[in-house]
Amino acid sequence: MKKTLALVLALCMVFALCACGKTAAPAETPAEEVAPASLAVCLASEPDTLDPALNSAVDGATMVAHLFSGLAKWSQNEEGALVIVSDLAKELVEGVVNEDGTVTYTYTLRDGAKWSDGKDVTAGDFEFAWKRAASEELAADYGYMFEIVKGYPNDLAVTAKDDKTLEVTLNNAVAYWNELLAFPTYYPVREDVVGSEAWATAPETYVCNGPYTISKWEHNSVIVLEKNANYIDADTVTMDVLEFYLSDDATAMQANFENGAWLMIDDVPTNEIANLKAKYPTEFVVAGQIGTYYVCWNVNENLLPETSTLTGVEAEAAEAEIRNAIALLYDRNYICEEIGQAGQVPASSFVAMGMTNPDGTEFYKTAGGNEDFYGYYDVSVEALEGNFASAVETLKKYYTYDEATGMFTDVPVLSYLYNTSDAHKAIGEYLQSAMASVGIEMSLVNQEWNTFLNTRKEGDYSVARNGWLADYNDPICFLDMWVSASGNNDVQYGRGEHAELAMYSIDLTPYGVDYVVENGTWAETYDVLISEIKACTDTENRYAMMHLAEDLLMSTGCIVPLYFYTDIYMIDDSIEGFFANPLGYKYFMNCTVAAAE
Amino acid sequence: MSKTTAYIIKRLVLAILTVWVVVTVTFFVMHAVPGGPFLGEKAVTPEVLAALEAKYGLDKPLIEQYFTYLRDVFTRFDFGPSLKQRGQDVIDIIATGMKTSAKLGVIAAFSALAVGVVLGSVAALRRNRFIDKFIMVITTAFVSMPSFIMGSLLLIVFAVKLQLLPANGAAANGLILPIITLALYPTAYITRLTRSSMLDVLGQDYIRTAKAKGVSGMKIIFGHALKNSLIPVITYFGPMLAYIVTGSLVVERIFSVPGIGRAFVNSIINRDYPLIMGTTIILAALIVIMNLVSDILYKVVDPRINLE
Repeated sequence: MKKTLALVLALCMVFALCACGKTAAPAETPAEEVAPASLAVCLASEPDTLDPALNSAVDGATMVAHLFSGLAKWSQNEEGALVIVSDLAKELVEGVVNEDGTVTYTYTLRDGAKWSDGKDVTAGDFEFAWKRAASEELAADYGYMFEIVKGYPNDLAVTAKDDKTLEVTLNNAVAYWNELLAFPTYYPVREDVVGSEAWATAPETYVCNGPYTISKWEHNSVIVLEKNANYIDADTVTMDVLEFYLSDDATAMQANFENGAWLMIDDVPTNEIANLKAKYPTEFVVAGQIGTYYVCWNVNENLLPETSTLTGVEAEAAEAEIRNAIALLYDRNYICEEIGQAGQVPASSFVAMGMTNPDGTEFYKTAGGNEDFYGYYDVSVEALEGNFASAVETLKKYYTYDEATGMFTDVPVLSYLYNTSDAHKAIGEYLQSAMASVGIEMSLVNQEWNTFLNTRKEGDYSVARNGWLADYNDPICFLDMWVSASGNNDVQYGRGEHAELAMYSIDLTPYGVDYVVENGTWAETYDVLISEIKACTDTENRYAMMHLAEDLLMSTGCIVPLYFYTDIYMIDDSIEGFFANPLGYKYFMNCTVAAAE
Repeated sequence: MSKTTAYIIKRLVLAILTVWVVVTVTFFVMHAVPGGPFLGEKAVTPEVLAALEAKYGLDKPLIEQYFTYLRDVFTRFDFGPSLKQRGQDVIDIIATGMKTSAKLGVIAAFSALAVGVVLGSVAALRRNRFIDKFIMVITTAFVSMPSFIMGSLLLIVFAVKLQLLPANGAAANGLILPIITLALYPTAYITRLTRSSMLDVLGQDYIRTAKAKGVSGMKIIFGHALKNSLIPVITYFGPMLAYIVTGSLVVERIFSVPGIGRAFVNSIINRDYPLIMGTTIILAALIVIMNLVSDILYKVVDPRINLE
């Protein structure tokens, strides 16, 4: 009896466990079929979503770009340059300016565009998809990508005139409109497919219109894409099968790259960078990426010594000077070369490298208006000593300086907030030591990612690590985040005490806008400037005003750029036809893999 | 027998109570932690945030959310949708993850049991000989070595250098290395446990009596010594099995295994409230059940133990 009971219990134990997994067949894993053209890569862990309207991640965007086809797309021309070309639109037409200043574009769809289930792609699908993506009801992270379209968010001015003709009206001319058409949020989806959000989580329900379809999706393990026979340009797709392995562990990625299982990986362990660069000189790639790593100060944090009598506007003006002086203490070349080690570029302005002026010159090279260097301070190695000396001179105006030790003695203790990560910590420690060299004490505080975001957003910090990556190639996406009401305004401009400080001046008359303010608040100056930029239809004036906005921003000293991001990845030498765009999306559809030697 | 039944019922009621306490504490602590599911590097607009909160019922008072959740879980077994992986239900995410973790864990745990008991008995019966010392040195090393070192070591040797096995859990044979990594610690632990408890039993009077009565060596070991020396192993094995099948984050990360451990940790990082709750409930329930089962197994192995 006892033995039987023991057996039954032991069986129960095993059964209870097996029951947990009874829904699925054993994970006998990925396709072993040795298809002639198949490519295994790893970008990141499981994407949150592959619904083009809901996705807001770079790795998700890469997959969606292989699954969908919009009006325009990124392409590599014969010279190897990246260009936006028409995709499902017959051509990327010029807009027609209406009497009220709005601009209407009318696109004609190419013949023969089909969904993966064989149905025709119509202009109505675009109308539905755009209205859905922009709507408050869907609540998509990137819904604001339609902000420039008239009627945003709930009454978008986009209409399918017939099955082939799509008409859309923008509030004003937008320089980066064609680029938006190639953005995943602007891809079409079909109304009868996307009824339930679950449509985008399984191959059976996933209907798309791009180069590939999903043939297998093992959650958190692998997503396999297979060439879509119904794709309008199927003959241009050279890679038949793409396997996206799902992992966010850089060490695992490295191991799989080194043993040849994955031919492209989008991340490497930070402490292995130098080693990998030396070991795989042609396969370790450092690509440009439009983004800035920076330090942000809480504008409402008091920086003056207790003995200071300055208040209000005068105090804030002094603090701006102090923050800008401290920004000169950092050796950005050291940060890039010794800590980052991935080809980062020392930054002296906020709008990232990679953004261009209308004449094609780099935006960051014309920022700051200095003759001898780009940006707002000289970050060259040669300038280091001079910067240091001038920082000390400025700080002497406000703090007690002990000439014997070369230290300031009454700077309030600061704390530097960063999210837990070795790389951010190393930078924090460097900043700490640079400031300690003149007697400024800064403690380091690290928080887990989500808590960190919350603390920074709420402004419960004095100095914090920050970073921003562009969504599209226009400087406005670096500038409009600093208006008072913006959810990304971590500095707290125009909030709390800062809201009352009338100390900023702008004169927009040279740019055709009748607006002059002397000693206005942040809301009266910066906020107005940004809305004028958004409404401006003259490209020259618009860019001039964006430079003005950056000048105003940098004058506060609250934003201290450290470096411009780069995107590092490893790709096997045998792969040809691969390209990546400046937003970090990777394109594999035109790849070929040379046979192993 | 009826005593045992009453005991089991009592323990089951206690188990449900325990899970309920865990659910309640987790629910309120989780909401008290700063941050939220819709926070990201790029902030969503207030309108979008409001729409999302309304959609998932997060705009309601916390106490109302709590009772709604309890009702859904206990009456309909509905764990709700994931807030982060839109379109996926928590129950599906857990089922997918558990499938892999359970497979991994069950194989690892039972291998550990089989190997550990054998090695432990051998070591005890050959006390102070070379084989005993050898086993003890090896097991001491495995018990003290954390799994992230063991995993990385196996990965470098077998996947990168020798290229005998894949580094990726999704590939064919991909689960071999993670299973070995997972099994090493419990194997070593069970070996040591079996050895010391076997030695203890072998010194007991009844073993001497049996020997004096001329019972064969084999019969003494399998009929008396082994059975009684397994009691501590059972105590250890039940909860160990529960822990091991509910996923090891470290092993899952190193070998890219799509298990539940990763889902659990990510759910906390993302503040994916329904997924945190779902994984916690499943984990708590498993541990409570395993403890109960091992308590009952006790009684079976050693009738002297009183379940009251």
